[in-house]
Amino acid sequence: MKKIIKNPYSHFILLGLVLLTLPYLAEAGAIRNSTVTVIGTTIIYTIAALGLNVLLGFSGLISLGTAGFMGLAAYISAYVTETMALPFEVAVMAAIGIPTLLGILVGILSLKFEGIYLGIATLVVAEILREIFINVTPFTGGATGALAGRPVLAGTFQLNRIQTYYLIVVVMVLIFILIHNLTKGHLGRALNAMRGSEAAAQAMGVNIFKYRLIAFGIATVLAAVSGVLYVHYVGLSYPTTWNLMLSLDFLAIIVVGGFRSIFGTFIGSFIIFAMSELFLKPIPALANITPLVKGILIIIFILYYPNGLANIKHQVSHWLVRRKGKRDAFGQTKAEKKNLTRAEVRENDTV
Amino acid sequence: MTPSKTKELALKIEDVSIAFGGLKAVDNLSFAIERHEIFGLIGPNGAGKTTIFNCITQFYKADSGSIHFINAKGKETDLMDLSVHEIIDEGIVRTFQNVELIRELSIMDNVLIGAHHVMKQPLLGQLFNRKAIRKDEAESREKAEKILAFLDIEHLKDLIAGSQPYGVQKKVEIARTLMSDPELIILDEPAAGLNDTETKELAMRIKQIRETYQTTILLVEHDMRLVMDICDHICAISFGKRIAVGTPKEIQSNPEVQKAYLGEEGELE
Ligand SMILES: Nc1ncnc2c1ncn2[C@@H]1O[C@H](COP(=O)(O)OP(=O)(O)O)[C@@H](O)[C@H]1O
Ligand SMILES: [Mg+2]
Repeated sequence: MKKIIKNPYSHFILLGLVLLTLPYLAEAGAIRNSTVTVIGTTIIYTIAALGLNVLLGFSGLISLGTAGFMGLAAYISAYVTETMALPFEVAVMAAIGIPTLLGILVGILSLKFEGIYLGIATLVVAEILREIFINVTPFTGGATGALAGRPVLAGTFQLNRIQTYYLIVVVMVLIFILIHNLTKGHLGRALNAMRGSEAAAQAMGVNIFKYRLIAFGIATVLAAVSGVLYVHYVGLSYPTTWNLMLSLDFLAIIVVGGFRSIFGTFIGSFIIFAMSELFLKPIPALANITPLVKGILIIIFILYYPNGLANIKHQVSHWLVRRKGKRDAFGQTKAEKKNLTRAEVRENDTV
Repeated sequence: MTPSKTKELALKIEDVSIAFGGLKAVDNLSFAIERHEIFGLIGPNGAGKTTIFNCITQFYKADSGSIHFINAKGKETDLMDLSVHEIIDEGIVRTFQNVELIRELSIMDNVLIGAHHVMKQPLLGQLFNRKAIRKDEAESREKAEKILAFLDIEHLKDLIAGSQPYGVQKKVEIARTLMSDPELIILDEPAAGLNDTETKELAMRIKQIRETYQTTILLVEHDMRLVMDICDHICAISFGKRIAVGTPKEIQSNPEVQKAYLGEEGELE
């Protein structure tokens, strides 16, 4: 039992199960249907943000192009299913494959550009993509956007809105598990090393070129999955959606949620997207200040919680122990602190 | 222990030079290291010691000269043909003058990075956390625990590396080198920042490492007592140039060395 509770997979699955109940709650009238849609979209954004977290959080590489890659996948999937009338599965492969190849090319750029320059380079790529979204009308529908239907699985199962939501939740849980697998071991250590000390990483045999490409590859695959789910859930794709603001939102998610934390990415996505959609935008007076609220949140987190929400619970328990420690006259504090930090590491490992 | 009588060489540095702008950081430097010996490189600050380490490990490409490594099987490799990340595959591993750890990771994870090049884990296998991957991870962890126990820091293994005192961090760096099954360990000022007791322990450890892990050790160190105590041979350099090579005794009594190096920094013991 303890093993099951400790197992991170079960955390992801539990989260998935909770999310799966939302449509029932909506049917029962406990929450609005539109809330389910917002949460579905939030999950979609979580996936792209998790990709950015692998890139930035683990590998220390910045990208301001997430929205561009997500949009590219959305358009490809819409085009392949609608215009070419090919199966959904084919669309998924094309919509993940093409952006990922492009993402890996950008990874090659990352060897030439460091830090802020890499940010600018990725932004340029995303802006070029946006020009394509606006101007290559036969492919994207230009300013009027591209339409896409709900997924048809294996050529026969036409999903409705709620079933598509289920699909999104299942994909999220799968991705959480796979990314957990990838980041908790060999690859995760290599990416961490690359971020933490490039010199040590190289001395230990980490091929920086290879791992930068892998990091960009993972980030784009996730952005692409996110784009595919988006276009078939929301039903359309406008060029204005895939702008710098969206890429910055993904950055904000990580800052607020926590670097290198899967759950943190989910929570951050909730705060940055769902909160503003559900609580700020319905109130006209607040709708316009949404970007301001996000900006303030980012500043607060960078200043006071640089490790994001994922770490706040550790800080709280640290604080509690320290208080307890003061009352303890038997030198227990050190041991307690030690245990705590151990637990913390384990948590960080699994989250 | 004296070096083996057959005097097999492990590392040959011949006429290596490298300049930064007009400054010749390493100037026609040659020395050779025998297998299984502890070799010290000494010289005043800025003499080019770290630079030569960087040339050996290919962080810098030497302007001229040659650097050859002969592994335990007798295979000779021109290190200048390799990239930085390929050096460890030859069995050469290093530490850094300013400890280079992944601060946010646990000590265990930091040590495990040392096994990066021995772990052959295909991405797909990792993605699905296949049995072979789990086995590899578990075995590596066990190996890391043994190394940490050897260095007396096993109880700290789950703590965050960056929050540890300097002495522990330096041990973690050494543990990481041992994790890579090294033939040649290159230590850049391993005693810097350590107190007297820690330095004494370090001297013992370095000798132990050579015996237990059957390695050759090349080190830069300012602590003369440590160098004289543990090294089989020493090379003294100044302004990138070699001034003397010999046993600790020979180096101690060498007038050139005394003039160039020890004269300014204090007396030799
Ligand atoms: N990357 C570099 N760029 C410019 N100068 C360097 C570089 N690396 C080392 N140097 C210079 O080379 C000389 C030797 O430095 P170093 O090898 O670090 O000395 P030390 O013997 O103290 O380890 C110094 O003058 C240093 O400034
Ligand atoms: Mg130095």
